[in-house]
Amino acid sequence: MTPGFEAADFIAGFIAEAEEHLTAANANLLAVEAAAAKGQATPRPVRELFRSLHTLKGLAAMVGVDPIVEVAHAMETVLRDADRAAGTLPAGSVELLLKGVRAIERGVRALAGKRPVPGASPALISALGDLRQIAGERAGTTAGTSLPPELAAKLSAAERQQLVQGLESGRLAWRILFLPTPERAAAGVNITTVRERVSALAEIVKVVPQSVAVSERAPGGLAFELLVLAAGPKEALAEAASAPPEDFSPVVLEASVARAGAVIPDDDLTEDQLGRSGFVRVEIKRLDDALDKLSALVVTQFRLGRAVSSLRQAGADVRELGQVVSENGRQLRDLRAAIMRARMVSVAELLERVPLIVRGLSRATAKPARVEISTGHAELDKAVAERIFPAIVHLVRNAVDHGLEAPEGRRAAGKPEVGLVSVACHERSDNQLELTVSDDGRGIDAEAVARRAGAALPATPEGLLELLARPGLSTRAEVTETSGRGVGMDVVKRIAVDELRGELSMVTASGQGTSFRLRIPLSITIIEAFSFVCGGETFVVPVSTVEEIRELDLGKVVRGPDRRKRPRGQPDRRRAQRAADMIGRRGQAVPVLQLEDLLGLPAATAAVRKAIVVRRGGEPFAFAVDRMLGQQEIVVRPLEDALVKVTGVAGTTDLGDGRPTLVLDLAALGDALFAAEGGPSS
Amino acid sequence: MNELHVLCRVAESNYVVAAADVLQMESFSGATRVPGAATEVAGLVQIRGRVVPVLDLRVLFGLPPITPTLDSRVLVTRRGERTVGLLVDSAREVLKISESDFQPPPSVVAQQTDGMVKGVAQVGERLLMLVDLTKVIPEAQEQSHGQ
Repeated sequence: MTPGFEAADFIAGFIAEAEEHLTAANANLLAVEAAAAKGQATPRPVRELFRSLHTLKGLAAMVGVDPIVEVAHAMETVLRDADRAAGTLPAGSVELLLKGVRAIERGVRALAGKRPVPGASPALISALGDLRQIAGERAGTTAGTSLPPELAAKLSAAERQQLVQGLESGRLAWRILFLPTPERAAAGVNITTVRERVSALAEIVKVVPQSVAVSERAPGGLAFELLVLAAGPKEALAEAASAPPEDFSPVVLEASVARAGAVIPDDDLTEDQLGRSGFVRVEIKRLDDALDKLSALVVTQFRLGRAVSSLRQAGADVRELGQVVSENGRQLRDLRAAIMRARMVSVAELLERVPLIVRGLSRATAKPARVEISTGHAELDKAVAERIFPAIVHLVRNAVDHGLEAPEGRRAAGKPEVGLVSVACHERSDNQLELTVSDDGRGIDAEAVARRAGAALPATPEGLLELLARPGLSTRAEVTETSGRGVGMDVVKRIAVDELRGELSMVTASGQGTSFRLRIPLSITIIEAFSFVCGGETFVVPVSTVEEIRELDLGKVVRGPDRRKRPRGQPDRRRAQRAADMIGRRGQAVPVLQLEDLLGLPAATAAVRKAIVVRRGGEPFAFAVDRMLGQQEIVVRPLEDALVKVTGVAGTTDLGDGRPTLVLDLAALGDALFAAEGGPSS
Repeated sequence: MNELHVLCRVAESNYVVAAADVLQMESFSGATRVPGAATEVAGLVQIRGRVVPVLDLRVLFGLPPITPTLDSRVLVTRRGERTVGLLVDSAREVLKISESDFQPPPSVVAQQTDGMVKGVAQVGERLLMLVDLTKVIPEAQEQSHGQ
């Protein structure tokens, strides 16, 4: 141990890593269960499970948490046997293994809460021991393939079984040779990218690094053999693998029968080095810190630019210096983009726990359900991901609990007994992510919702959603264990619409199901923003919140009567707003608010101004400002101190002049104004 | 026990702040105003890459604000997790004042300043008022807004 060793740091690291392995273990157990339901063996998930438990055991031993070591060891033993049996787990084992995972989870949570870790349950340990005996009797045989023996020797029984099963199911197996070269590396083609691209088209059974004779084609003397199972033609694969067709060789089944006797090596380093290296876990605070430091650097760069300008004005030859400064500016922008990318997490990872949630709900409600998740390669800023996840969980809960019918109901409706919940997302071109949570259940009974809300039958899906999102509304008369009562859609709406400034919409069809769609910004830390001047000061507003920017000819603004009282409880500088102003826009009257009035800034005098049009609850309204400055990517820092936490200000940014510029939330500013007008203020 | 204090001026009066609470002193040429914040909030400044709210001690002490001068300073203070700047007319000296030199302020003064002055000390010719940061920077709580 290093002299600076801190037990507390070590435990925190253990907890973070243990959670990751537990999540993976849960996901793999569900995969095993799903495959077992179809009578298939699952060599890869079993192997990964084994690895997770093996690692957990090692980690727990390092921090000296014996109960976790004991459970992990018992589970690992079962899984090792299952792996030797080519991924076949005895019946009932998934349930028991899930229990084991939960026991470990409890231990980790206790550790995190600085509580004593409960001892391992002797019943669990002995049940796991029993499983092992059953599993031990089942190690079977497996068919052989045309793989050369030296390659076959590198496959575990599980991998051989995976290959054989793939071939038996009619897929083609290929050996693909990939030769890394400096030219390829320069073009961004390396074993990692090839692996990624091939895995999009085919199932990779194993990647085997080999040393070969140094030649023109293999200048590094290194080659990788990818063993893959594919349904499609080899041409597409050849492109993905950057390998000419002659580097492909087919693998076929052979009639001979071989005993599966290979043992999992405890440290299967080749796979680990190829598949798992190159990742580092970073606390988000450290990235924020890096971003802060970078902002300071941007300010310095701006000052440097100013210093160069004054030199130029003084007649100095600053051409070269000017070039260096502008190159420096570009590099800073690139660096900022790189940090932003580092903050992104994959949506697939975010949704890892969803299948487990559905499984739990499905059991609690006795409604068989399966889940389909399709996320592609979408990514989200970590801060957004953390905020949106509870909303997704609510929607998934509702889908199983309220959306899906009981099996009898589904049979009667002529639907498959197992209900479907699907979560899908795709990235839109406007830096937004669209996420849908759908079920194939009974649809929402608008009449029942209206009755419970004591409101008239809504005419549109938007109207129905509005009712559903009323705090405290539940469409179920009884309190259910899973959904509770009165929580749900209002929380979803608050997170997606109020906190993240996204959108929430819904479609539902009686007897066919319901689909909720969330549209949220990919990042709330770094965003595209318009900058503009109002009342002599500069502000920015996120592009995603703006519907339109248009000319505002004050001669064309229509003024209605104004009988409102001045809002109370605001600073003295705020004067009465002229909120009865409006303009015509595509045949619709849009209210116009003078932003400088709302912000207590000096009134504008120009006859022609700009109007920034935003939407509030579906209705457009416009803010009059002096002039627009431009559009750029900005880093938003939230305003945390209570002294400066005010409605309508989302945070600050630095436009490069070393001063904070306010990031306005115009919709919230409008909301506050309208709320102030409607009845007694809250 | 001698303790370091930063001496600053607000209008014609001398105040001291325990140096242990002051992270740094910065010159001040204006702040970004925050609409809707309390009147004593001068605004936001960016100091070494971080955004800090600034309280104008003049306004807080019931005086009209002034245009910043070359002497204007922001004392960047730390209170728990929060970092808040205090805008003063000038701040030039650091003094060693022992705790026993401070006397409680006369009760009239204590009342009129809402406890923001927690002690006074006579040092040479000057009467120095010790600022109570816990009173100057109120506990973090949601400000009522948006109504």
